[in-house]
Order: sequence, then C-alpha cells, then structure tokens
Amino acid sequence: MAELKILHLYGDLLDLYGDYTNVTAVKQAAEKLGHTVTIDYAGLDEAIDPAGHQLVYIGHGKAKNLAAAAPHFRQYGDAIARAVEGGTVFFVTGNARLLFGQAFETPGGGSESGIGLFRYGGIETGRVYTGDVVSRPVFDEGLVTYGFVNRTGHLTGENEYPLFRVLKGPGDGPEPDGTEGTLYKNFFGTWQMGPLLVRNPGLLRELLSRMTGEDCSGLALPLAEKALELTLAEFGELVR
Amino acid sequence: MRFALAVLLGRVIRFVGKFIGRSTTLPGRLALRLDPDFLRKMKFDGKVLAVTGSNGKTTTQNLIAHILRENGYSVINNTEGSNLSAGVATTLLEHCTLGGRIKSDFVVLEVDERFTPIVFSQIPLDIFLVNNLLRDQVVRNGNPDIVLEKIAEAAPHAGTLVLNADDPISLQLADGRQPGTVVTFGMARTPHSTDSCQHLTHDAKVCPKCFGKMEYDFFHYNHIGSFHCPKCGYHTPAPDFLAEGVDFESGDFTIDGAPAHVDYMTAFYFMNFTAATAVCATAGVPLEAAIRAGESFTVSRVRYDEFDVDGRRAILMLTKQNPVSLDQNIDYVITQPGPKTVALYVNNVLYTEDKDISWLYDVSFERLVGRVDHVVCSGGRAYDLAVRLELAGFDPERLIIEADNAKLREAMRRSTGTIYVLAASAFGDEDGILEVLK
Repeated sequence: MAELKILHLYGDLLDLYGDYTNVTAVKQAAEKLGHTVTIDYAGLDEAIDPAGHQLVYIGHGKAKNLAAAAPHFRQYGDAIARAVEGGTVFFVTGNARLLFGQAFETPGGGSESGIGLFRYGGIETGRVYTGDVVSRPVFDEGLVTYGFVNRTGHLTGENEYPLFRVLKGPGDGPEPDGTEGTLYKNFFGTWQMGPLLVRNPGLLRELLSRMTGEDCSGLALPLAEKALELTLAEFGELVR
Repeated sequence: MRFALAVLLGRVIRFVGKFIGRSTTLPGRLALRLDPDFLRKMKFDGKVLAVTGSNGKTTTQNLIAHILRENGYSVINNTEGSNLSAGVATTLLEHCTLGGRIKSDFVVLEVDERFTPIVFSQIPLDIFLVNNLLRDQVVRNGNPDIVLEKIAEAAPHAGTLVLNADDPISLQLADGRQPGTVVTFGMARTPHSTDSCQHLTHDAKVCPKCFGKMEYDFFHYNHIGSFHCPKCGYHTPAPDFLAEGVDFESGDFTIDGAPAHVDYMTAFYFMNFTAATAVCATAGVPLEAAIRAGESFTVSRVRYDEFDVDGRRAILMLTKQNPVSLDQNIDYVITQPGPKTVALYVNNVLYTEDKDISWLYDVSFERLVGRVDHVVCSGGRAYDLAVRLELAGFDPERLIIEADNAKLREAMRRSTGTIYVLAASAFGDEDGILEVLK
C-alpha cells in the first residue's frame, strides 16, 4: 500500500462552494483502498513544491483572491510546469484553471498572467453565470458526469486539450461549443466547481488510478453511484 | 403626467388587488412600467432608512419600524418578499398622496442586496444598515464579493452607513467615507463565542483587503467575530454601539452600558437588536428609549413550527438555501437534550431548478455526527444529501433516505427521538412534507 501525498494550494484563499471536498473525497477513497494519505497545504506565505506529491489540488475562488494568487503562483511556474509535464496528477476546479494559461482579466479592469502552460486566457464579466453540466469525459466516453458552474469569467482563445464532451450546459467560453475542461497528461482542469469528485465516482476512480498507478475501477461507492444515476435520470433522453 | 398616471393606476390596482388577493408587487411593476422614473419622482417628508445584508434583514427592519412607532413616529415599511424594486414601489404607492408625496416621519425599507444600487440611486437614503455579508443562495447571488460590489454602488448615496464592526467583509464599505458618516455596532465576547471557527463557511480566512492570513480573538459565528490582520492592520474597530455581558440564559445584556433584554436568545438576534438600536439612535431616538421599545418586539416565528408526528414531538425550522442559516439550525439542534432525529428536506436550486447542491458542502453537518440518532434525507435531492452526510462521517446505518414525500411518514417510524425538520426550500414548498407529517 502506498503513502500518498496531496498538495492543496491556496486552501484559505481559493475556497468556494465546498470545493475542498474534492480533496476529502480522494483521501477517504484512498484510505478505503488501504493507502495512507497526508495533505500538505501551501498559501501565499509559503513556497510551492509539487515534488513528491501524487496530487496537486487548487479550487475555485473569488476573482479578487485569484488575482492575488497569480503573482505568487508565477514564482513557482517552472516547478509546476515540470510537475505537469512529468505526469503528476493535478485537479484544478473553477477559475483556478486560469493560473495555468495566458493572461486573464481581473476585477477592476486589471490583468494577470498565468504560467503559460496552455494557450487559453480568460475574461472577467462581473456577472454570474450558472448552470448544470452533463458531459462525457474523453478518457472514457462510456461515463456520464454531472457538474455545475457558477462563475463570473470565461475562457478565451484555444483550449487544445478538452476534458469533457458536453451533452448539456455551458462550455469554456461565453457560448457552448460542445467541450469543456482541460486534460493534458494527468492535468485535469474544469470550470465545474464544488464537490465534483464526491458526486462522480467515475472521475474519482480515474484520478485515483492515475495517482497510484493501480487499477482503481473496482472501488465501490454505491451511495454516490445511486445518487448520480438518479440525478442523470432527471435529464431524460440526453444521457441514455 | 406619466407619473400622475402611474400613481393613480398603481393605487387602483393595489386597491383591487387587496380584494382579489393578487401579487404584492404588481402595482409597483405597473407603475415602473408606466413611468420608469417613478421612484425618482417620489417625495419624502421624513427620513428614509434601509436595511440590507445576508441574514436578518426582515427581522431587523421590522424591529427598527417597531422601535420608531413605539417612540411616537409615523412609519411605513415594506415586507419580506417585496424587497426588490417593484416591491419597494408598491410599498410607496400604498402610502403616498396622489401627488407622490410620502408624509410619514420615517420610511423603513428592507432591500435585497442586489437591488440596492437600483433603488437608492433613485430615492434619497438617510441611514443605511448593512447587517452582515455571508454566503447566501450562491447560485442566485454569486459569492459575497459580488454582493459587496453591488452594495458599494449604493453606499455613496447614504447619508450615514451603519456597519457591523465584527464583519470584515461588509465593514470594507467604511473605506473612503467622510468622517462622521459611518456608525458601527458590535458584540463583545459571549459565553457562546469560540476561539476557532466552528463552521465550514468562513469567508475571511484571508484578509479581504491584503489577502494575509486573518486572525481572530474570537468568533461569534462563521466569519463574524473580533478580527485583525497582522499584515495590513485591518481590524474590528471599537464599535459605537457595543453589546456586552450577553447572557443566553436570561436574555439580559447591555448596549453601551444601558441595560437591555431580549426574549429570543441567539447570537444573531443579540446582534440584530444592537444594529436596530444603533440605527434608531442615529436617527435621533435616545438609546435607552430605543432599547425599551425594542424589548416589546415579538420576533416572527413564521419559519418555526411545532407539531406532533405519531406521538413524537416535531419541530420545523425553515431556511432558504443559505449555509449560514442551516448552520444556525444545526447549532440549535445539538444543544437540545434527549434522543433526536434530524429530517433534512432539500430540493433543486430555488428558481432555476438546477441540480446543484454545492451549498450543502458549506454546511457543517459534521457537527451532527454522534449527536443525533438518525438523519432522514428527504426532498428531491435526498440521495445527494445522503452522499454529503456520508462524506461528513455518518454511519450509513443511521441515514434514512426517502425522496418520495408520500412515504416520509413511514420512513420517520424507523427513526427515534424528537424530530427536527430542517427544510431548505422556497417557502411554501415544504407544504408537501408537512401534509404528510402533520
């Protein structure tokens, strides 16, 4: 059994809509599989070192807080990019995705740069966009996932490596284009926020498999499966 | 001319509506359509006081109106559910002369946070109370920063701002104000205050001004408490109106040394009471007179009901889809003695019918683990609720899941102890479960 280490970045700063529970879900499931799990936290006052971690997590935050995180995050851009290229699993929800791309707008008309790993950038609208998202992840089109977006920004430019084929709901930009999210090597990024891994056992198993290098498809999560099945059934023909 | 027509027709509709029981905001909607400048053209002989914030708007607004009336002033005020532009217009229509003049000494308005810039860019605002800013119906409102920006657009129109010294989020509205135009209220440490935050929803883990790690001397609830930022120095100021010596058993406390008493002993209400007296004192009522008048106010219990389910005591507590309100209900449940069951009732997102329940992950259900015998998960999102509770650490054996209202009474029979029904829904929505249970 492995000793798994999770690095949760900006837990105090980027913290909305129960996003932290994605980390809880990974921890609980990994422990169920017999692994030990430790969670390290790093914020604005600490250095970021992804080395030795099997998962790096960043959640959705207020737009002003994300702008405050960006200069700090950029200081560690090289180490972070190396970790992504080297296959470390990243799970990044909501606007935290913007930290990995090109320039993005911040509230009050300013702009911050991401670490430039991806080609997309971001705009800030000041308006709240919300909606259910039903989609199929590209790594297993047999799976159907449910998520929710609640954001004030959009992705701009090209998203080269989509994570989801969207059956219903908003995509990355102002208009739905049928795709959403980013999957590059083991980097998972998505606008879908909140308890995404709690509500989608299929995504959780995939993440765990990539973290541990073992097949975790047998992990039993009956209650979450049943809840997801009932939720998806409410979308009718769409997911049959 | 348009204005006169708007007043006249609005009043006729209001008059007719009273007999046929139509919507409370229809006359206002009509008046605003006939004359988009309707609000701007209203004339006020007295002062306009307004209340906004995430929690306690209705109670505090009614309390302020009560205190002013008890002190001999004429007051008009609106009611919950009519706190958007059309609702405010309807309230004004009902009380104005045909020339659009409001003759009362005071107009006290509860206004939805999002609508404050629209309403108060058009009508004068003498005193503006912002109770608190916490996560509230995030699908509708967005996060507290977005709500704060809306209120910040309205704040410059206010003669005096009354702010919560213990809320680092809404207190930012004091920045850049002229001296003497901000009044603060706050509450000293109470027996219920804690050194660490007891709730998952805490929107000021970092300083909202400089993003440094925020420190607290104590918390009242969520991010409300005595705070200071070691990095930039932002801190709870010495409030102009301070509640001290709060006794949750007797309801006794003091405001600026003046004895006060309330019959509804929650941290929320002690603070609301202090806020209301601060507003009234700022409006010219002597503090002691404001306190005496406030003491005779009866808190509306529309969100609370007691009944019997198969010989067991059941208590209904309603909340909107607001994690802080649900946390407050949980705080209450865990202080109650004896065996108990919590029945949670959760539907889709209000108004939009989205299937998101992210807000339930901001509620500290963890506090119920080991303190209740069973949790009944009901409503349209019953299974998602159970998944949330499993994550909180509940033994699945203690979870009773029943999404079908018709079978809820039977499900309750499998539980034990006093039943606390915590229903998070649009008010009125809970009728389905009450029909079965009562």
